[in-house]
Amino acid sequence: MKEKALQVLVVEDNAGDVRLLREMFKGEKQGSFELTHLLRMSEAEVHLAKGGVDITLLDMGLPDGHGLETVQRAHAAAPNVPLIVLTGLDDEALAAEAMTQGAQDYMIKGQIESRALPRALRHAIERHRMQTETDLIRTHQMEFKDEFLSHVSHELRSPLTAVRQFVSILLDGLAGELNAEQRQYLEIVLRNVKQLHSMINDLFEVSGVQAGKLKIELQCTSVSDALGYAINTLQGAAEAKGIILSSDIEDKLPSVCADPARVRQILIILVDNAIKFTPQHGTVKIHTRILEEDPAFLLLEVSDSGCGIDPDKTERIFERLFQASDPDAADHNGLGLGLYICKDLVTRQGGRIWAKSVQGQGSVFSVTLPICSLPALLAPAFREERHTERPITVVVTEIGSQTGWLSDQVRTDQCRSIRELLRGTLYSDLDILLPKMDAAGPGELFFIAAITDGIGGEAICNRIRRQLDSSERLRQAGLTHSTSYRSLEPIRQNLTESKEAFLEKVATNIQELVNEEILARQVRNG
Amino acid sequence: MDSKKILIVDDNADIRLGMHLRLKANQYETFFAADAFAAVAEARKHRPDLVILDLGLPAGDGFTVMERLKQVPFLAVIPVIVVSARDGLGNQKRAHEAGAKAFLQKPVNDAELLAVIRQALGEPAGTKKPTLYDQGSV
Repeated sequence: MKEKALQVLVVEDNAGDVRLLREMFKGEKQGSFELTHLLRMSEAEVHLAKGGVDITLLDMGLPDGHGLETVQRAHAAAPNVPLIVLTGLDDEALAAEAMTQGAQDYMIKGQIESRALPRALRHAIERHRMQTETDLIRTHQMEFKDEFLSHVSHELRSPLTAVRQFVSILLDGLAGELNAEQRQYLEIVLRNVKQLHSMINDLFEVSGVQAGKLKIELQCTSVSDALGYAINTLQGAAEAKGIILSSDIEDKLPSVCADPARVRQILIILVDNAIKFTPQHGTVKIHTRILEEDPAFLLLEVSDSGCGIDPDKTERIFERLFQASDPDAADHNGLGLGLYICKDLVTRQGGRIWAKSVQGQGSVFSVTLPICSLPALLAPAFREERHTERPITVVVTEIGSQTGWLSDQVRTDQCRSIRELLRGTLYSDLDILLPKMDAAGPGELFFIAAITDGIGGEAICNRIRRQLDSSERLRQAGLTHSTSYRSLEPIRQNLTESKEAFLEKVATNIQELVNEEILARQVRNG
Repeated sequence: MDSKKILIVDDNADIRLGMHLRLKANQYETFFAADAFAAVAEARKHRPDLVILDLGLPAGDGFTVMERLKQVPFLAVIPVIVVSARDGLGNQKRAHEAGAKAFLQKPVNDAELLAVIRQALGEPAGTKKPTLYDQGSV
């Protein structure tokens, strides 16, 4: 049977180097390799996104891309295509770093033996295939485990119900009076049943975390209410250990953009942990304030006077099934899932979580959550996976606070609000964006923003328009939203509208998109 | 005054007995069914004031039972409380859509169950014997 030729993409702008590379394949059997040569990163991205490439040979110094960025871009355009980096002698360290960004191997120009190159390519492809296979097996194993966990936690609930029912029937004296000793022992049973129940719930939650099924409904949420709930729920447990549980909340705290049930859950996990790891007569405090470094976030801190955490482990404690190996901690029973669930919940609501601790002197767990504002409500919609079976949605907008159309408006709040929304969620570099859009599935959403602070706003917008127009695929897919002040023709014709009206329109547009997104997510979450 | 009649539908005999003891102590009269078929038959026979219904049952699940109860006019009016070990998210919504008055997840808190029963039966809160050791959710 005739073997299929391996498709090699060479991205290299030096004609001499390309000639040399071609030479190296001359000794190979006819039809075993097929070389495609491209000069620019942007062309390579388009080519890679189309598929069919078996391996890429990538120069890290191109006219439109340099260094590790080229590796990241190639990897982003086709994550499953193995990549070998070509580099000069003086760049070996950089090339080695490229391997952490997804490159399989690197080769130093001028030191490549001609027979070695085809062999290195075959090895890289084989290594990549084995890696992919291992990853796939691991994913299947995880899926199986989560399904199993979900099933087991469900099956455990029924017998636990019976145990709980009968213990409380006995404790309530429905089967006759109990003496003090019998009562004490039954209370121990009940306490352990409750412990078991919370472990089963953790198992159930964690299978949801893995499957990405935890439902989160963002809304304006009062942290004070959630805090009151957590304190009420855990006051008894604190008192039983003689621990003083207190909270110190600033007046008029803004609401956060989060799911109230999930905020309660986060606080319960953190406060419950703090109580567990604090010895008798210690203290657990909850403190809330606006984050100084970034006033768009609220900071919640749970501090305790407990045993503290080994400084090397303040990050590892958020890993799944992580357990403190401290023998003193043996009675702090749990599955090691609480903080893992907590981290997932915080992250998915747009916040961060971290711990600081001095061993023997207690720990502080900090959580940030975005304060309720338009951008905070919108941001997740641009991060989540997109719905399918709808045309590609593109929103083009132009934003400038110092120059251009916003300069004479003192609409800084609104401008900041939109800028904030875009931060980290937009694609502004068309060289990256276009190949991605070309390869996009139906229903994907792109937000293009031309930030026109300074000079060149007009030029950028013109370039966006030209590039969008040049894509046959995009024209066919249809753009459901495309709004801009100057960059798109329909709007250009409508210059009579006021800047305020335009801003309003952009905001409405974004709001509509987000409403759709939230609705779609709710449907997906059942 | 006659005590109200409650039909307990659960395939786990221990849970049926546990619920019976708790309900009897609160002056309710109880009847039992261990599968979906028996649930409808017992409901016809005893015309209970309320049904406590598990979802995972032999011979059809809890949703089937609710559907069949709906088809008989004098059974359709009986309030149903679903008590299940199944995941709350989708099932809770489905149970409410099927007409259930409440959805409680196992292991159920007896104090909460009694409160929900009183509400479904239109009884004033706190008229029955409270449970001492089941305050607050686990």
